[in-house]
Formats: sequence, C-alpha cells, structure tokens
Amino acid sequence: MLQIELAGLKLRNPLILASGILGNSASLALRIEEAGAGAYTTKTITKDARPGYRNPSFVKLETGYLNAVGLANPGIDYFSEELDLMKKLLKIPVILSVGGKDLEEYEYVVKVGVEHGVDAFELNLSCPHVEKMGAELGEDLEAAINIIRRVKAVAHGRPIFLKLSAHYNYLKLAEEAVRAGISGFTAINTLRGLAIDIYARTPILSNIYGGYSGPGIKPIALKVVYDLYERFRNVPIIGVGGVDSWVSALEMILAGASAVGIGSAIATKDLEVFREIIEGLRRYLETEGFRSIVELVGLAHEEVSNPY
Amino acid sequence: MLLENILGGEMYLASEVKSVIKVASTTKVYRLSYRGLPPSPGQFFMVWIPRAGEIPLSAANYRDGELVLAITKRGKITSYIYDRVQAGDRVYLRGPYGRGFNPPCENERSLLVGGGSGLAPLLFLTEKIRDRGGRCDALLGFESKGKAFFLEEFEALCDKLFITTEDGSIGFKGIIPDALKQILQEQNYDVIYLCGPEPMMARIINSVQRIGLRLEASLERYMRCGVGVCGTCILDPLGLRVCRDGPVFPLEVLLKIEGLGRWWRSFDSRKIPI
Ligand SMILES: Cc1cc2nc3c(=O)[nH]c(=O)nc-3n(C[C@H](O)[C@H](O)[C@H](O)COP(=O)(O)OP(=O)(O)OC[C@H]3O[C@@H](n4cnc5c(N)ncnc54)[C@H](O)[C@@H]3O)c2cc1C
Ligand SMILES: Cc1cc2nc3c(=O)[nH]c(=O)nc-3n(C[C@H](O)[C@H](O)[C@H](O)COP(=O)(O)O)c2cc1C
Repeated sequence: MLQIELAGLKLRNPLILASGILGNSASLALRIEEAGAGAYTTKTITKDARPGYRNPSFVKLETGYLNAVGLANPGIDYFSEELDLMKKLLKIPVILSVGGKDLEEYEYVVKVGVEHGVDAFELNLSCPHVEKMGAELGEDLEAAINIIRRVKAVAHGRPIFLKLSAHYNYLKLAEEAVRAGISGFTAINTLRGLAIDIYARTPILSNIYGGYSGPGIKPIALKVVYDLYERFRNVPIIGVGGVDSWVSALEMILAGASAVGIGSAIATKDLEVFREIIEGLRRYLETEGFRSIVELVGLAHEEVSNPY
Repeated sequence: MLLENILGGEMYLASEVKSVIKVASTTKVYRLSYRGLPPSPGQFFMVWIPRAGEIPLSAANYRDGELVLAITKRGKITSYIYDRVQAGDRVYLRGPYGRGFNPPCENERSLLVGGGSGLAPLLFLTEKIRDRGGRCDALLGFESKGKAFFLEEFEALCDKLFITTEDGSIGFKGIIPDALKQILQEQNYDVIYLCGPEPMMARIINSVQRIGLRLEASLERYMRCGVGVCGTCILDPLGLRVCRDGPVFPLEVLLKIEGLGRWWRSFDSRKIPI
C-alpha cells in the first residue's frame, strides 16, 4: 500500500529522513530504520572534515527552527567507515548527501560513496548558511550543471537527486539539471533567516543568520514541489519542509512529491513521528478508497486525472 | 526587571544572576532567578552567554524560582563565565532538557558517587531524595582539598559522607573506584547514582556489574541542538542521543556503550580520546 519506487530505489514507504538530522552515524541510521523510515539520508558530507559553527547553532522559534550547524561533518574518508557499517546493518536505502566548494570535491565524495556502496546521492546545492558551499553554487547555473555532469559520470548509474533552494530560480536550474541527466529533486532546503533576542539585543546564532525549517516553511516548500511537478511530470520529487504529520505529508504528495522528507519535526515529536505518519497515511488510503499511495502523487494538479 | 516573554519561552529565557560564590579553586556557584519550567535532577539547560557561546549545564538545585548552577572552569566558555559573569548580569537559558535520574523507591538506600563538575546534578538529586523523606550516602572525589566543594551541603543531607582526594589533603587518599570498592564491602545499597569524569565512571560501571546493584549514570557529550535532531551527542552502537534519550542512562544501557570512558565524538563527529 505504501511501497514506492523512487528513481529505481525501492522504498517500503515514502518517508525519508532529511539530510542533517541524525545523519552522522550508522548507529543512528539503524535507529531511524527501526523507527519506520523508508530511506535514510546522511548529513551532508564534504571532502575534508568541518567542525561547523560554534554554539548557539540551533534555536527553536515560534513556528519552526533556525540552525547554522555549518555543515559540520568528519569528511568522506572518515565517514566511509560509517557507510560500510550502514551497508552491513541497514535494509533501507542510504542516500549520501554530498557537499563541497567545487567540482573536484563533489566528484571525490561521490567516488568514495560509490566505493562504499551507497544506494543514491543527493547533491546539496542549497545550504543557505555556508559561503561557496550550497545555495551559492546553486545560483551559479554553469557551476551547478558542471557538478551534475561530472557526478553523473562517476556515480555508476546510481540515482542522483538535486537538493534545491527556494532562494534562487529553481525552475531554471531544474530544467538544466534534467537535461544533464538528474534522476530527481529534493525540495526544499532551509530558508535564510535571523533570530534576535530582545534582552541580549543581539542575533542569537553565532553565525548571525541560519536556515529556517519546520512548519513555518511548509507553504513555501509546497509551492516549489507543485511548480516542479507541474513542469516535469516524470522526474520524481522528495518533498521536504515542515512535514510533521500525516496531513502535511499528504499535502506534499498531492502537490507532486513521490516521497516525503522528515527533518526538524523530530525535535517536537521525536522518532515516533515516522510511525504516526505511516499509520495516518494507511488510514487515509483506506477510508478514501485508494489502493496505493502512488495514486495520490500530484493529484492536486488540475489536469492530473486518476490513472487507475 | 524582565517582562514576561510574550513568545512563551520558545526562545531563550533571560535569567538574572542573583549571586556568585567561589566555592573551590576552579568552581563557582551561580544563583539565578528563573521563571521557566522546573527541572528535575539530572536535567540540563543550554546556557547562552551572548558573544561568548552556549554550553550544556546541569541544574544543581531548583526551588521557588531560584535555579542553582555550579560551573567548573574547563575551556573557553566556562572560563568566560567564571571570570566575567557577575551578580546582576543576565544569562540565557533554554530547557530543561533530557531525562534525569529515576529517584529511589521508598525504603531503598542509595549511594551518590561523583567527582568534579558531576556534583551539580547529584546535589539536586540528594535534595529531592531528602524532600521525599528518603535517605542516602555520598562518596565524593576530588584532586585535592582546593578543588573540593559542596561538602557542607552533602554533609547536611546525607547520613554518611565519604570523601577521597588524589593527594590525600582531605578524606581518604586515592581515587573514587578504589574507595567505592571498600565502601561496598561494608555497606549495603540498592542503587548507585553516578556523575563525574567518564574514565572513573567506566571503571565503576564495570565493577558494579558484577555485584548486581541498580545504577544510573549521567553522561557528558559535545552538544548542539539539545533536542535530539543534530546527532552531535550520539552514543554508539545503540544510536542513543545524550541530550534527549539521556543524559542519565541505566546500567544495562551503559554496559553496551562503545568506548565508554575512552572516546567520544567531537563537533565534526570524529571520535577523539576523552
Ligand atoms: C548534560 C551536561 C551537563 C553538564 N553539566 C555541567 C555542570 O553542571 N557544571 C559544569 O561545570 N560543567 C557541566 N558540563 C560540562 C560543560 O558543558 C563543559 O565543560 C563545557 O561545555 C566546556 O566548554 P568550554 O568552552 O569551557 O570548553 P572548550 O574550550 O570547548 O573545551 C575544553 C574541553 O572540554 C570538553 N568539552 C567541550 N565541550 C563539551 C561539551 N559540550 N560536553 C562535554 N565536554 C565538552 C572537551 O574535552 C574539551 O577538550 C555538562 C555537560 C553536559 C553534556
Ligand atoms: C539541524 C539541521 C541540519 C541540517 N543539515 C542539512 C545538511 O547537512 N544538508 C542538507 O541538505 N540539509 C540540511 N538541513 C535541511 C533539512 O534537510 C531540510 O531540508 C529542512 O530542514 C526542511 O525540512 P524540515 O522542515 O522537515 O526540517 C538541516 C536542517 C536542520 C534543522
């Protein structure tokens, strides 16, 4: 009922752990699998280790969260041990999120990922708070397309997802990416934001600004997913941004997402959020008379008639 | 006077420092006026000092709107607080976070074992045990007399207080695990509560396993979010998060932790020696 196929990956359900949330060890990956997720995305991994930004690097706001972790990660060579363990322990697909400052770094990380058996890649061209690594690369159409082409050449046929930001002209980048052979999109990453404490009279994050996630960004994420589906009917989309219930998961799917990313909702609902959403989706399919979740993908688009 | 935060405490709660007392050569006790959710023993706060940084700190006591922190100088931020934060200043708190100690059942005899900055959550637990009419003993260890603190507080609350110092300047000369071994030969306890340097705790956990006592220990790890999403404070191989699933864990879990007392993960997730 909930099984899906995503760019060739077989998922037991459409829920995917989003990148950067509990994504740094095999022990966590196993726990996420046990919690019910259909696939696991790692933290964005770069060529070299990055300590990230100093605390405060995460703060809860009224309708979401603001973080500037700064792509903290141990570097791909070190992380490859965790990848080996994941391959040994996990049944669900592992998606390696890849970051870097240039083409060579992306290529290097993907090559190591292939050697260590990851099932798919997600190119983070959308992190909003690290200079020259992320959204700024995504803004540079030529650089972004070169990265996609090069990565495709070394990915050994494994699916490559492009993680998009709502900050730039994502449709234009998506258009070129499809031409360069991208397998799917992940939309969206966090949005640039700022939080100020009125008594300290200073920005809270050590990095001053950060990436905004959680319920507050859901309408924006839905719009991006909707636009992408409208434009590229058969390129699969992982819809991410503010999903914290089976209702919001369904909104994403109806907008055109084949799979749904779960991120900061874990801060409020903890890992039970996966089971809660899965149960909700099941009940919805039953009561609304659908046989498979796949039937619902993109149904909010006017001219999509039920193909079944 | 701080106005009520209209956002309902979602962000930080500004708290005024009412007093600062130096209690040992590298430790100070800070009393704060605090209007947030009451913490329980073992729970912690992420404490933000604007322009200096943010670190996890355990509640050392809480009563009627007053929160006590005991801070030992270690690195950059603890030194900043120790050297610069004074009565009248404000610090900024989010929390309380995590799962604290399970208090002993009625009639259970407990022994609290701790050293250094681990004393903070243990003092709070002792207060709670006494409030409920329970009884406990404590074994406290320090490098030397100059580093010792909270002795009078524990003395007033515990039936028996055992003290060890590495140089013998007060109490028994030696280290906590050795003193504990001796105490357990003479006394009967139902439960041990443990907080302090991890290599010390690891030794005790291994020896207590053999005698079948109930034990809970509070662990320290590098932390960022405090709410269980970033993965910084992960324990292998169970995938437990110290900030959310802990910081207090029972013996059965502690025995399964890889590298206990030997390594933890740094801010970039690499394993580094403790
Ligand atoms: C749940 C919890 C409760 C704590 N309660 C208390 C308390 O009540 N009183 C107290 O004095 N201290 C407490 N600590 C320890 C305190 O958070 C660290 O001493 C502090 O973060 C060090 O910061 P720094 O900038 O002074 O040191 P840094 O300059 O960052 O580093 C100095 C050394 O401290 C260690 N360290 C740094 N950050 C952390 C961290 N987040 N967790 C563990 N070790 C770290 C490392 O070994 C490092 O080499 C607690 C820690 C945790 C996780
Ligand atoms: C603490 C934190 C760290 C994140 N780190 C990454 C990252 O390393 N790479 C990435 O592509 N996205 C990262 N993200 C973004 C999420 O994957 C997701 O796109 C975003 O949070 C929106 O989803 P949500 O509202 O469900 O959290 C991070 C988000 C958070 C909250």
